This record gives sequence, structure tokens and C-alpha cells, in this order.
Amino acid sequence: MSTPIKKLEELIAFQEHAPIRIQTLGQFTIWRTGEKVDPKEWGRDKTVQLLQYFISNRRRNALHKEKIMDNLWEEGDDRDFKVALHGIHKVLEPERPSRTEPTYVIRQGVSYQLNLEKIWIDIDILEKYIVIGNETFGTDHSCAKKAYKLAIAVYQGAYLPNRIYEDWSSEEREKAQLLILSAYISLAEILLEENPLETIRLTQNALAIDPTWEDAYRLQMQGYLAKGNRPQAIKTFQKCEQVLDTEYGVDPLPQTKELMREIQEIS
Amino acid sequence: MSKKQDQTASFMVRFNQQIFEEDGESKVQWRGKISHVQEGDEQNFTDFNDALIFMQEKLANLTKEATKDKTTEQQEGILQKSLYMWKTMKEVGPKVLMETIKDPKKQLSQFQDQIQGQISSIGEEISEKVQIDEWRNASRSDYKKVKKSINELAEQIKQLSNKIDNISKK
Repeated sequence: MSTPIKKLEELIAFQEHAPIRIQTLGQFTIWRTGEKVDPKEWGRDKTVQLLQYFISNRRRNALHKEKIMDNLWEEGDDRDFKVALHGIHKVLEPERPSRTEPTYVIRQGVSYQLNLEKIWIDIDILEKYIVIGNETFGTDHSCAKKAYKLAIAVYQGAYLPNRIYEDWSSEEREKAQLLILSAYISLAEILLEENPLETIRLTQNALAIDPTWEDAYRLQMQGYLAKGNRPQAIKTFQKCEQVLDTEYGVDPLPQTKELMREIQEIS
Repeated sequence: MSKKQDQTASFMVRFNQQIFEEDGESKVQWRGKISHVQEGDEQNFTDFNDALIFMQEKLANLTKEATKDKTTEQQEGILQKSLYMWKTMKEVGPKVLMETIKDPKKQLSQFQDQIQGQISSIGEEISEKVQIDEWRNASRSDYKKVKKSINELAEQIKQLSNKIDNISKK
């Protein structure tokens, strides 16, 4: 059984050598054997949409054609689907000989799914890095740190930002946001003693995604305190108090208030 | 006919649980965020009723938009019927949510009974108020679709029951 470090190495190697790499976080880009695919190659937007739908539903085994069309296009017909699918094959495997089975989008009858063993997808890898980070958080800080750092490097922004008004993409967007928030917080916690400045930066990133994330305020206060910047730690608490009051009408949690008391008592 | 997208509202609800000790007792606080996917609006809440009001407003806007070519009277009538579901949802929603968290198995069986109850009471409501003459008769394919959906739903409920049984055994 491979160790967490070994798993990390395998994932890094996959990122380097995967024949197809897809970025969905921050923007949508595809690399084919290391070369960025020109967006003009896609032709119709429906082709891009179909691939993005496959990515969003990659964990659901075998997506039925009728269901895909129903979820994606209000007036789409069978021909639209065929054209879009052909477009995907053409972009991913332009050199594929005719009458051979496609490698990346696998068909089983009228169901389809992506071949995740051959395609590197950032959101998929992000989750895998974070899982390794969480598994080793309490036992191997060095491995956890590496895993969270890799996850943070993969996260370039919201999932498919040009599809934020499409409901088929919202589940993945929410999931990616929660994953990256947890990675920021966990890494910020690990680094608190060793590098409080980095803790502060990571919590700022978390708060940029969700300004009500109270764990981030608490860690940021601890980070400023460790740097000897008591006034900034107090300001962070005040900001937390104000945001929670505005957004929820609640006070900070007792542990946050307790931390504030400790900071105030330091002369 | 309006586009399907104009007739759809999707919501993403996030609950963030905070458990803490205060004045010697354990407390729990739920902080939530609801997003309306098609417009991108968001609202934070600690009271689930606020999330329901948010949804209700968005759905009312959808109904208003879809009926803007009708007379004010017709529009109000449709809006009234549209909000009927929300009256029920707002009354039972938070209670159902709490009970589901406390006892999922019991709640699932109650859900099944409630769904049956609601279907019959909504059915009565509709038959009293809606102009049936304006409706077209259901076709054979409509029946097939409904039958298929019911079968799928029954299968999903069965699977859910099995999962809950497994969790209870653990």
C-alpha cells in the first residue's frame, strides 16, 4: 500500500505527464500533451459546455445521454449532443484514427464518463491533495504541509467562473470553495509557530473567499500576536465582531472572545 | 412559451455548525448561507426562516416575470397559488429540518406520510381554484413520464431507507 508521501509523488508525476490536463479553477484551459489548446479549436460553446458538464459530474458513473441533454440545453436535440461530443473527441484526440474507440470520454451504450486515469483535472487533484493533508494532519506535519501547499497551488480561483449562473456547476463550485477554505485554515494552523506571517497571509486568503469564516479570524489574531503586533490582533477581532454582527447578528464564539481577553491582558 | 431557464430557480444552502461551551453548558449555533444560482445573490442567516423568505422572494419574482403579460388580477391569482406551497413549507420546513437532524429514520417514515398528505390536500386546493378548462388533457407519454418518475422516486427512497438501516446498525 502506498504511503501518503508516495501518493503525493504519484499525483505530482501525474500532473507532469498526463496527456490531457484541464484547469477549471479560476479559468477553463486545456493542455494536450503539454501544449495549451487554442480556444478557437472548440468551435461551438455547446462542446465546451458538454465537457464541463462531464467534469462537474465525473464522480457519477455513466451519465445518461438524455439526462445530460435535459440538464444542459433547453432546446437541445440528439444531433446537438452528437456534434458536441464529436467536438470534444476532436479537441482531445485530433490524431485518433477513425473507427477506433475514444480514450478520454468513455461510452457505455448511451452513457458517458471521463477517463479519470488519463485526464488530470485540477479540481479532482485538489481534493486528493487535501485528503492526504487531512490524513496526515495529526501524524506527519511535514507531509500535511506539503499536501496543503500543493492543493493551494492548484487553486487558481472559483470553479468554472464563466458558468456561475448554471445550476449544474454550482455543486462543484461550493465543494471547491469549502475544500480550499479547509486547506487554508489547516495549513495556517500548522505554520502558526514556524511562520506566523504565512499564517496571516493564508487566513487573509480564506477571508477573501468567505469573510464570515471565524476560524480564520482567530488564527489571524494568533499570527499577529506571534509577530508581536498586538494592535493588529485587536483590529482583527474588531473586524470579526463587526462582520458577524452585520451578516448574522451574532457575537464571536466564546473561544474567540477568550483569545481577545488574553491579548488585552498582555501588557 | 418561456424558456426552461426562465422557469427554474436553483439554490445552494450551506450550513456551518458551531458547537461551544458558554455559561457552563454546551451550545450549538448554525450559521448558514443561501445562494440563488441564476442571479448570484447570496444571504447569510442564522434563522432558517430567513433562508425560506429569501427563496420565496426569488420564486415570487420568477412567477411575476413569467406572468408580466397578464392582467394584474390574473397575476395576483397565480402568485397566490404559487405562494401556497410556501405557506406550507415555511410552516413545516424548520421543524422538519430539526427533526431530521435529531432522528433521520423516524423522519423519513414521517416524510412519506406527509408527502401523501400534502399531495391530497394540494390536490383539493388546486381542484377548487384553478381553471381546469384551461388545461390540456394528459397524454399517454405524460402518464408514462409520471409513472417512471414515481418508480425512480420509490427506488431512491428504498435505497435511502437501506442506508439509514445500515447506519442505525452501526
